[in-house]
Amino acid sequence: MAGSHREERTPHWILHAFLVATVIYTVYPVLWVITIALSGKQSLAIADLPADPTKLDRARAVLPWPTRFAFSNFISVMTDQPFARWMLNSAIVAIGATIVGVALSCTAAYAFSRFKFPGRRFGMMSFLVSQMFPGTLTLIPLYIIIVQWLGLGSTLSGLVIVYATTSIPFSVWMLKGYFDTIPKELEEAAVMEGAGPGKIFWSIVLPLAKPAIAITALFSFMTGWNEFIQAATFMDKEDMYTAPVGLRFFVGGFQQQWGYFAAGSIIVSIPVVLLFLYLQKYLVSGLTAGSVKG
Amino acid sequence: MNERPPASRTRFGVGLLLGLVVALGGGWALLRGARAQLEDDWITRRAIVAANALGALVGQAPDDAAVRKAVTAWQETHPPGTRVRVIRGTTLEASTEPADTGEKAAPRRLAREEKPLYDQAQRLRAGVDTNREGGAPKPELEVEREGGARRVAVPLEADGKVTGMVHVLVPADASTGRRSPLQAVLLLFGAMLLYVLGAWLLPPRAALLAVASTALFCLAAAFFVGGELRALGLAERDGQRALAGTVAAEVDRTRTLTGAATLDGGAWDTDLTRKPRGLITGAGAIDREKGEAEAQEIRRRALRSLMALGALGFVLLVVVGFGGANRVGRALVSNRQAYAYIAPAIIGTTLLVFFPFFYGIALSFTDSNIYNTNLPLSELWVGLRNYGTILGDFGVVRRAADGHWVFNYLNFYWTFLFTVIWTITNVVWGVSFGLLLALVLNTKGLALRPIYRVLLILPWAMPNYITALIWKGMFHRQFGVVNQVLAIFGFEPLSWFDRPFTSFLTALATNGWLSFPFMMVVSLGALQSIPADLYEAARVDGASRWQQFRAITLPSLKPALVPAVILSVVWTFNMFNIIYLVTAGEPGGSTEILITQAYKYAFQRYQYGYAAAYATIIFAILLVYGTIQNRVTRATEAL
Repeated sequence: MAGSHREERTPHWILHAFLVATVIYTVYPVLWVITIALSGKQSLAIADLPADPTKLDRARAVLPWPTRFAFSNFISVMTDQPFARWMLNSAIVAIGATIVGVALSCTAAYAFSRFKFPGRRFGMMSFLVSQMFPGTLTLIPLYIIIVQWLGLGSTLSGLVIVYATTSIPFSVWMLKGYFDTIPKELEEAAVMEGAGPGKIFWSIVLPLAKPAIAITALFSFMTGWNEFIQAATFMDKEDMYTAPVGLRFFVGGFQQQWGYFAAGSIIVSIPVVLLFLYLQKYLVSGLTAGSVKG
Repeated sequence: MNERPPASRTRFGVGLLLGLVVALGGGWALLRGARAQLEDDWITRRAIVAANALGALVGQAPDDAAVRKAVTAWQETHPPGTRVRVIRGTTLEASTEPADTGEKAAPRRLAREEKPLYDQAQRLRAGVDTNREGGAPKPELEVEREGGARRVAVPLEADGKVTGMVHVLVPADASTGRRSPLQAVLLLFGAMLLYVLGAWLLPPRAALLAVASTALFCLAAAFFVGGELRALGLAERDGQRALAGTVAAEVDRTRTLTGAATLDGGAWDTDLTRKPRGLITGAGAIDREKGEAEAQEIRRRALRSLMALGALGFVLLVVVGFGGANRVGRALVSNRQAYAYIAPAIIGTTLLVFFPFFYGIALSFTDSNIYNTNLPLSELWVGLRNYGTILGDFGVVRRAADGHWVFNYLNFYWTFLFTVIWTITNVVWGVSFGLLLALVLNTKGLALRPIYRVLLILPWAMPNYITALIWKGMFHRQFGVVNQVLAIFGFEPLSWFDRPFTSFLTALATNGWLSFPFMMVVSLGALQSIPADLYEAARVDGASRWQQFRAITLPSLKPALVPAVILSVVWTFNMFNIIYLVTAGEPGGSTEILITQAYKYAFQRYQYGYAAAYATIIFAILLVYGTIQNRVTRATEAL
């Protein structure tokens, strides 16, 4: 066997020891946040230290296991705190932006993939270059446009518009790449039977591209769900916060509600972490493929 | 179908028509808005004169009864809609509001729902105090619009101290007439008539027609601009005269009410910081020089906008005339399906991706900040000043009096250096640790591999703002886990965010935690695609493990790792969330990276123009990096 030679050289227990140490490093912060969430308190200490702590006391304060279990943080963050409302805001914004963004991207990507027209290359190139625009540079004008001109500050629709449009260039590149791989013979056959481009797009290309559309939509959703800076800049009113802004609100500035933060973080993270673990192999190929083309 | 392009006669005719419609029609609409604005400003200015006059009158009153008498007398000499309120502390001293009668008649305490009035008085007092101390100028009077009427609030001063506020509602006065579009329409028809005549007489040669239509365009535009600017000047003069009239009337009234001999009515015509504008002299006449300067400024502003419109109209004329529009039109028609498909996406990104980008670049050449966002960018133009200030300041370190080196953490080069260090350390860590883990995980026959893989990928899956806040909590001085661990090993607890180096370490720990899985996954994918027989063949040739790694593993990893490194450099360079949420630049902005520094300039110091210049520099750096990277990659691929 190919690897047998190397296996003899490095005993597996060393590899396991290394991997376990690394796993502790990666999992510890996650366990920490779970512990804080389950502690039922707002403190960011796992255990209260006595006045003159021994090493054992300190070790207890590091061990990610709550001194007592309580679900009160989860319950009150969803009921007493406006966190349910923030989650709803996030969900509306992320879903709205995904639907609008993917719908626009699909049609555009189809045209870029199938039609030859003046400006095609220029359009794709400018979409690519737009990925290099630093967020801060466009954030100021966007703030002026959305808040001062359109009066959409602290509204969900303002955020939907921003997220949807900013996701278009990436989505178009992803979808165009996939549309290019769909054989043209299918469409040519449909043309012979008298179908127009609209019908071909709707009943042949879109159904075939379902996997790519699903992946693009999920990326787009995750971006909207996790976005922080723009939401923090556009959302001034507390009940219009999205979940990221709200979580930061719990522990930013003078607030120190670590229990709410921890419980909220877990609720927010579970869906995206599961989605992510499911999607990761597409993510890598999508990202590296995109940058190789650039 | 025989689609011949239209003759140049028609093309230049249509071009001239469109160009003139844009230039003249747009100009007319623009000037209409400008004049409405001008008139609006005059109304405000006259209201301010009245309010200042009343403020002076009330300020002279020796006691409360005299205040009420003065207010009543002043009200009687003014038009019926006028309303006055005098507020001192929490007391309504005098009022002519119809609501303030009977039980609510002055003097009385302000009611709870009248708190905004109290707040406004406090604001004005704070403004006056700030301006006396010589800070950034703050408004000392406030003007609100109520239809055509104005509510003006001025501070009430006695013996040089602000004691309260006078609040006046000045009713709207009759509006002057609007300028009709007649001139523009006549010029348009005249020019077109001349063109039709000329085109009919001249031989249909494109050059000739181009010259003729350009000449007609310029002629019509010149007539239009001349006429409109003259009218604007006249309107401005009327406004100045009306203002002088108001001042004279107020002086007369005050004189009758107080019997004062000399009054400087000109000092009542002030801006929002209560600085006299100097248009009206003490004698109540218009200062000719100042008046001319004000009119000049207004004409200059109008002229600039008109020139831009004229240029646009001319471009239209040329494009249509020489057939450009025709070609574009034909391309549009023959590819209409493709354009229809991309139109929504293009419109969306143009408005909210590309326009903001170019607007941001335009903003970087201005002095835009929170105090002047209502002004057009052309008014705030400062050229390359922002870039000069950012890039021209090399004062990163200086020696303090006691011999210590003092760093200026707000300096661009410090932040740039920090960003570079930040990027390099993170990417080096990410690549080496990620690659190491990938090599370990790629060991054949290792137990529990899928479980390790999922657990090690977890940091990448977590939303990074949550990661950042978790690590910030773990580095807490008093309760943070990291300090507890240090204590177990007998170290003193550290204030992590008090020194640049330790603060940098917290951000590095956080970003290192969340960035290595990406490299690990990329390397693992590449490793698994290396055919096993390559190693077999190498071993047969007697290559050592290190030689195998150098000769087989690394070259096979390169196609996957190079784009991943490029990507992760850009990501780390712009890793806003980690820096912003973990160190927040502490201490003193020393651990700010370029992108967070630009954000702070924009949204904490509100220097939009400066921040835009900063962000443009970031873009330039990334562009240069991208180009060099591209070259290098291509060159190495060619080898």
